[in-house]
Amino acid sequence: MNISISNIFFRDIGRLTIFIALCLCAFIPPSLHAAFSISAETDKQSVEINDSLYLTITVSGDSSSVPEPALPQMNNFNIYSSGRSQNISIINGKIATSVAFTYILTPRFIGKQKIPPISVSNGAEKHITPEIEVNVVKAAAAAQAAQPQNTAPRAQAARQPSARAQAARQPEEMLFMTAETDKKAAYPNEQVNLTIRFYTAVPLTSNPQYVPPTFKNLISEDLPPVKNGETVIKGVRYTYSEIKTALFGIEEGQASINPASVFAQIHQGGAVDPFDPNFFQQFFAMNSGQGETRQVTSNSAALKILPLPEGAPAAFNGAVGNFTFSAEPDRREIKTGEALNLSLAITGKGNLKTLLAPKLPDMPDFKVYDTVNSLNISKDNDIIGGKKVFTTVLIPKTEGRRTIPRINFAFLDPATKTYKELSAGPFELTVEKGDGEGQNVSFAHGGQAALITPISSDIRYVSDKTAAPLTGTAAGRISAMPLWLNLFPVGALLLSLWLARLNDFRLKNPMLFRFRKAHGEARADLAGAADKLKNGRPKEAASILYDSLLAYLYDKSGHKVSGLTMRRTLTLLKEKFPDAGENALNGIKDLWGKLEALHFSPGGATQEEAKDMLETYTALLALLEKEFKKRG
Amino acid sequence: MKIKLLIVLFLTLSAVTAGAYDRSVLAEYNDLYKNGNYQAALEGYLEIAAKESYNPYAFYNAGNAYFRMNKPGLAILYYGKAFRLDPRDPDIRTNLEFAMKHTGQNFVPEGMPKALHYLYYFFSDRELKAVATVFWWLACLLLSIYALKEAMREKLRGSILGAGLILAGAFFWSAARSSSLFSDAAVVTENSTQLLSGPGETFKTYATLPEARLVKVLDDTDDVYYEIGIPREGIKGWVKKTSAGKI
Repeated sequence: MNISISNIFFRDIGRLTIFIALCLCAFIPPSLHAAFSISAETDKQSVEINDSLYLTITVSGDSSSVPEPALPQMNNFNIYSSGRSQNISIINGKIATSVAFTYILTPRFIGKQKIPPISVSNGAEKHITPEIEVNVVKAAAAAQAAQPQNTAPRAQAARQPSARAQAARQPEEMLFMTAETDKKAAYPNEQVNLTIRFYTAVPLTSNPQYVPPTFKNLISEDLPPVKNGETVIKGVRYTYSEIKTALFGIEEGQASINPASVFAQIHQGGAVDPFDPNFFQQFFAMNSGQGETRQVTSNSAALKILPLPEGAPAAFNGAVGNFTFSAEPDRREIKTGEALNLSLAITGKGNLKTLLAPKLPDMPDFKVYDTVNSLNISKDNDIIGGKKVFTTVLIPKTEGRRTIPRINFAFLDPATKTYKELSAGPFELTVEKGDGEGQNVSFAHGGQAALITPISSDIRYVSDKTAAPLTGTAAGRISAMPLWLNLFPVGALLLSLWLARLNDFRLKNPMLFRFRKAHGEARADLAGAADKLKNGRPKEAASILYDSLLAYLYDKSGHKVSGLTMRRTLTLLKEKFPDAGENALNGIKDLWGKLEALHFSPGGATQEEAKDMLETYTALLALLEKEFKKRG
Repeated sequence: MKIKLLIVLFLTLSAVTAGAYDRSVLAEYNDLYKNGNYQAALEGYLEIAAKESYNPYAFYNAGNAYFRMNKPGLAILYYGKAFRLDPRDPDIRTNLEFAMKHTGQNFVPEGMPKALHYLYYFFSDRELKAVATVFWWLACLLLSIYALKEAMREKLRGSILGAGLILAGAFFWSAARSSSLFSDAAVVTENSTQLLSGPGETFKTYATLPEARLVKVLDDTDDVYYEIGIPREGIKGWVKKTSAGKI
């Protein structure tokens, strides 16, 4: 039996292994990621040390969403994100996307500097750009400054802080930061500019590390480049570096800007002049040098995010700023089943990243597919703006003159605190009958009509399932049981093992158990006899008592006394219980004799006799239990 | 017959309790989400999640709302909670993978076949624990019968062996999962979270962590700080509990 069970078990395990192996092979999917390419270029080959250059990384692909490049750490440049520009086209369902990510690079050292390879990965493919070399030269202004000029001594004198003022400075006054916003209250999605300035009046070894602030109820967008300058505060000349950030409130309520930090190292020997032109290029760098480290933090700031004004039009979906709106189908004559691209363009100033697509009106004559969007962001004059185009693929279902209804877009203009509603359309289309099975054709590559190419990537929609899966619920309840409850089966198992052992012992030692149970059984018989007596059946009561006595003596002596004489029985009891008193043995002798006489007499026992026997047996039983315990 | 009745009763009770709130309530929250009112939808989803800690869809929907509100850290946190409750749900897996990819992280570790990853997370932690519990009870019960009923011993051997193997399998599977990405994991929910060298403001800042980064929680006994590890970089430190959420 064991062998056969083992065989079945191992055969099943083998089948399971094969199944898992097949699953592993079957479920390994081919790459579903769309193909893409990357290129990188700078706007100049040579740059002055106090100038900056633009690095443009272009990622192109055949999907609406392409991965962002991962910039490597560059110690020879400081890098700031400057914006992005995206172009997307859908032709016959085939998508082509090109996104240009622009960064501002400010050099830190003079000489030939390299921009290392930049990689882009979508999880399946990885593309790398070649290394770019840039020649960083001395600043022309600095070179001119070296020539004799009338203004130079005055400028130089202005740069030197007064020795008295320098000596009077407290350490905390030498380095400090400020953070301030241009507004104290704004609507959700209204731009607020945060200006953080780092001031220093002491030489730094270089490479201060900047930790930007964290925000609550705000989203942020960099506004590069870093601006540098000099200023005099309370008679002390400071150099400062300034970075601006655009903030947008998320929802009504309080918003806060936590302190920003700079970890700066002060050079004890004063080797680096804070008024050196190269100083600004060292700000916000990541490396650390030698010297005493100082952490400087800015003040925190609070903003009130105001509730939106009453009276929002139905088309309003959260856009705040100043926009223009246009819509245009890519053609006016089409066949049923063919794809038509309807583009809705929103241009202007505002947080375009979070801008939602205008709601399209009901169009029962068209199949409406997913909307993809392209986004171009500009940061001119520290104002976030640009253009966002939402493209929706429509497929007319039936031929004839069909209309795309008017499309509305509304936004809140924070300058006037009023809602403005713009509209485009309606658009008249002429739809002719198409060829056969056109309705399901969409988003396919060129000649591969059977394939479906994803046109965008996004999270899946919310679930409308109300109930948790049954297995999860049941598992949750079982696993939530207190751990100690799992000791119960152990207790039950131990009890079973003890009972099994006891049973085994009882089977091996039957007389021992008979001896122990004799008293209990005799008492049960007494109760039975009393019951009979109560019901007026003395003869039956006497019979019960007689049988009970013989059974009791059998259990105690270990010999079947019904087959023995009274004398033999008493002898055996005497041998087994040598310490038992004579009165006990005599009591047995008397009771046995009387019960035997009543049991075998033709008339049987009377009520009185039976009652007398019951009382005698009860007293004798108590005596015998006491006497038999003297054994051993 | 009695066993069938018990099963039906158990399933009915489970179903009734699992769907403890009205479908129209969820529909209302989903309408808010559909209309772009993510904050209001989120509040509803979180209310459901607070009432039904076993309901993965409440966490999933909350993750969606956070994602739409441009809070990838909290989105991954809630997708992670949903994933731990129902790792087989394709929507939960897809959105968690998408959000992780969106933040430069891999849902399936590099070099690991997707199918193997799917099998590895086929059961939730609770399911594995429940299987271990049920088969622990079953194994003890069968052993008890084995001890008491000599006549049934031959028949019971195979069942006891099977129950023991499943029990051991559940234990080993749970043990193997304890080192996984989502075990004792937390997600950084604030950008530029400072990783400190000790549990206090006075300690040095090691590094700043980007929002949405998955980290291992090594110790959560401190009231204010988590001690966390970042296996890929091989560093550990302390972050404020307000800056990270435990999955």
